[in-house]
Amino acid sequence: MTQLDDQPSGPDALAQALTQPFTPGMRDNPASLAEYDDEVAGPAPVSLPDPRTREFVEEWRNASYNCFSSGHKFCREVCPVMQVTRNESWTPTAFHANVVAMEKGELEIADVAADYVNCTQCGACELRCPNTLFTGDFYRFRTRTVDVVKAVRALAVDSGIHQPQWQTWNRRTDERTHEPVLGETDISQEHVRDWADGLDLPIGGETILFVDCEAAFYRTAVPRAVAQILQQAGVEFGLMGEQWCCGGPAAEMGYVDQAKRFARHNLDNWRATGTRRVLVLDPHDYISFTEDYPKYFGEEFDIEVVLVVELVADLIREGRLTPSVPVERTITYHDPCRLNKRKGIWQQPREVLRSIPGLTFHDVDRVTQWSYCSGGGGGLPVEKPELTAAISANRIEKAKTLEVDTLVSACPWSERPLSEAGDGEDIDVVDIHEILAQSLGIEVGGSRGEVGDRRSGCGGGSCGGAGGCGGGEGSAS
Amino acid sequence: MTVAAERPGERPWERLSPEQVDGVVERLRGILRDDQVLTSKTDRYNRARVPAPFPVHRWHERVPDLAVLPESTEEVAAVVRLAHELRVPVVPRDGGTGLTDGAVPLRGGIVVDVKRMNKIHELDLDNRTVTVGTGISMLKLNEELARHGLIYPDDPASYPCSLVGGRIGTSGWSLIGSRYGHTRDLVLSFDHVLPTGEVLHVGDGIGGKVSKSSSGYQLKHLFMGHQGTLGIATRATLKLYPKPEAELSPFWAFDDYDDAYRCVGALARAGVATFAGAVLFDEHKVAYLRRDDEAYIPQPNDVRALVCAVMYGYDDEVRPAGRRLFRIAREHGARYLGDEISEGDWAARHDRYATPLHGRTKDGQVVPMSWHCEDAAVSYTHLPAVTRAWHEIIADLRRRTDVFDDWGMFAYTSADTGVDYLTEIDVGIWEQHLDDKAWAMWVEAKREIAATALRHGASISACHGSCREGEVDLVPQELGRGFEVMLDIKRTLDPHHIMNPGKYHLDLAYGGDLGAALDELRQR
Repeated sequence: MTQLDDQPSGPDALAQALTQPFTPGMRDNPASLAEYDDEVAGPAPVSLPDPRTREFVEEWRNASYNCFSSGHKFCREVCPVMQVTRNESWTPTAFHANVVAMEKGELEIADVAADYVNCTQCGACELRCPNTLFTGDFYRFRTRTVDVVKAVRALAVDSGIHQPQWQTWNRRTDERTHEPVLGETDISQEHVRDWADGLDLPIGGETILFVDCEAAFYRTAVPRAVAQILQQAGVEFGLMGEQWCCGGPAAEMGYVDQAKRFARHNLDNWRATGTRRVLVLDPHDYISFTEDYPKYFGEEFDIEVVLVVELVADLIREGRLTPSVPVERTITYHDPCRLNKRKGIWQQPREVLRSIPGLTFHDVDRVTQWSYCSGGGGGLPVEKPELTAAISANRIEKAKTLEVDTLVSACPWSERPLSEAGDGEDIDVVDIHEILAQSLGIEVGGSRGEVGDRRSGCGGGSCGGAGGCGGGEGSAS
Repeated sequence: MTVAAERPGERPWERLSPEQVDGVVERLRGILRDDQVLTSKTDRYNRARVPAPFPVHRWHERVPDLAVLPESTEEVAAVVRLAHELRVPVVPRDGGTGLTDGAVPLRGGIVVDVKRMNKIHELDLDNRTVTVGTGISMLKLNEELARHGLIYPDDPASYPCSLVGGRIGTSGWSLIGSRYGHTRDLVLSFDHVLPTGEVLHVGDGIGGKVSKSSSGYQLKHLFMGHQGTLGIATRATLKLYPKPEAELSPFWAFDDYDDAYRCVGALARAGVATFAGAVLFDEHKVAYLRRDDEAYIPQPNDVRALVCAVMYGYDDEVRPAGRRLFRIAREHGARYLGDEISEGDWAARHDRYATPLHGRTKDGQVVPMSWHCEDAAVSYTHLPAVTRAWHEIIADLRRRTDVFDDWGMFAYTSADTGVDYLTEIDVGIWEQHLDDKAWAMWVEAKREIAATALRHGASISACHGSCREGEVDLVPQELGRGFEVMLDIKRTLDPHHIMNPGKYHLDLAYGGDLGAALDELRQR
């Protein structure tokens, strides 16, 4: 910006130019600044034998170098995996440094692939990076750890290096068009809409509700709550004609071709039913549809993607939904990583919770929650369930210090590990849509999963609408 | 790998063979669980570096043979005893955020990574102490202490990621040290594993929760700031303070460096009890910050130097103290930049230091650069001369190549009287272009930066340590007879030279012609 006064000119300029403070690149700088010969040739480039690796480092070397060259590791203590493993090999810094080492031929994809399992792709490291935090992305040097992790995983798969559990998971997903979220119990296309039994929802139409695999087959109380909330508000929507997994998990684990095939199917199916708008209740799907699909399809992707919790906040604000049944719980809210850290969505869920009568809400601000995670993302629970459990236990511990009885989340994938961790501490884990439905007098039905169903006092769930929901807490259902 | 082998007085040494490494691993598995012994390439490559630049094409030279993740003092001691028995190098690694390569293995061996020792063992509210594993960061510790209204005020630029153990090993410097003291003042006592694997509890006298003792030699300082060459701190008892109720951090602008320099001196000498520190931004620093107006708060062109001061305490202490400092600043031609900039900029200080991951070539091309900072402890009256000389050294580099960029200088008060300043020059380094020739230029510049400091009665480092290539050659000159005392202590405590070998010319303790070697170093 500024040129300091009294710049020398003429022959003295070259000698003095560098001893005075100046801004390189300004129009009125002495021309002589460009006249120095550079004595440094730079190190000889290393030629990499593997063409895939060559292409990979060409694409990612600068992005990773920006972290490598800083090396200050502000990301370390916010990283959920680092918090439970304390292993520097599994930090954002290492994930970038490895790429630089690969460029130099010091490491190969086979050396590094297994380390990259240890990431939930929560995005905390990117937010905490000083490079992102204060300068924005003016020079396009923003730290991109999530993208680098995905790219390394994809390079591994392309190179025939598989993590055993991920390989099985994605093969079974490919066979059944949905993730094997019920373990050994097979899931299939004909059951993908079972969660909606009795709700009388049409198929197709301009607006459809997309339900992720975990919610459709495991925590069915969530989509049931969502569907009935939207029905109560008079929102018109249908279910998808033939819904496949969004493909996001495959993309996160490196199975990019499979992810694209699934995305292609879903987009074609939306076209076939005249769908223009997709309602999404799961933050992971929201990432897939707003980041992956546009990348795969470019301008062809003209589908409007609406996050249900944002829509619901609008409906409450407009008076089309009025939570009135008191819910006597002491809660805190878990910011799902993909909403808070990846998408900057943290206000609307709080608005929804503040509209529910009866709740005592001990909130924790969104920045503090950068270091919180359930451990349920990025394929971690598939390959390393013990780390997911430890991360969830950490999260529950934070909730426990607030003396709450309930942790409210807005992400079905977080709710299973959090419920399991919460069970031992007597903290119930409830989805924001479940608890809102309760306050709207809806008898939700469906399942809150093994742990949730076992617990009394539900925000919807397996009581199946028998009228006992919340009754034990003295609320007028 | 022959980085240091040709130095005067050093004995040749060899890395472990693969068979020897296997033997060490087998013995370690008798001490630690399998998941605590790390041998993969990535485990080793990612424990070879610190933020200080080093040619990437030479990364492999610094890779350790393996790393361990102990979880207790006993485990650390057992690992070190084994290394002592087998004559295997041991390199302690805490946060790995240091700028003088303390945590960098120069001769392979075992990296002892203490990050899993991050528990809070005891919070003593009555004596105002906390006892922690040295693998905890100050950020995480203070998150817990905040619930009790307390703070551990050790506040380096690496506050979010450096660890208590690294602060001990480097004898760290704290941004608010003028009010609360630095790491050496804040750490009361600690458990320390000696190079033989014996465990020492060290502090003033008996250690424990005692802040001042006259009993025996004062050993605490000896086991702080040794850069891992005398052992590994594992558990520390720390002094705590009430979390301050009020913070005041005015920023003032000046027409030129000289006015700002006079002002910062007057502020520091004022003797205000809540004064926690002052920072002087020189003209190169202001010009540098101005490059990226999109990121920084813009200032008019006639702002050429800045001073900020910070005060902590109770509201009814800080307000009158602030009035006094504002009056002093006004008398020195300062223009207050307003509450918003002052509060925001101070809050951002920790994150700012690492912000620039790009620099500029002389003709303005934006390129990825790493930040590096050279520091010295300079007494007040020598600040302007050192500042000028250091900029000239970097200007010389820039005349020869665009690998280096001048990012300006800061001077921070170290004490509450204004006697000396942590003085730093920030240098952008285009590491992707750092070949052997550029590296040699940098090492020579570092040597000249250190020599300049010594010529002005300064110490080579206020905060980083001085054991990197370049500056390390000047340490025997700086310490005089004290350097030979260092050698004697090293040889006594570490008879087999296993603890972080290759640092601080301590090889000289183990043979060769010491007199000739020292003569050569001191004549540089």
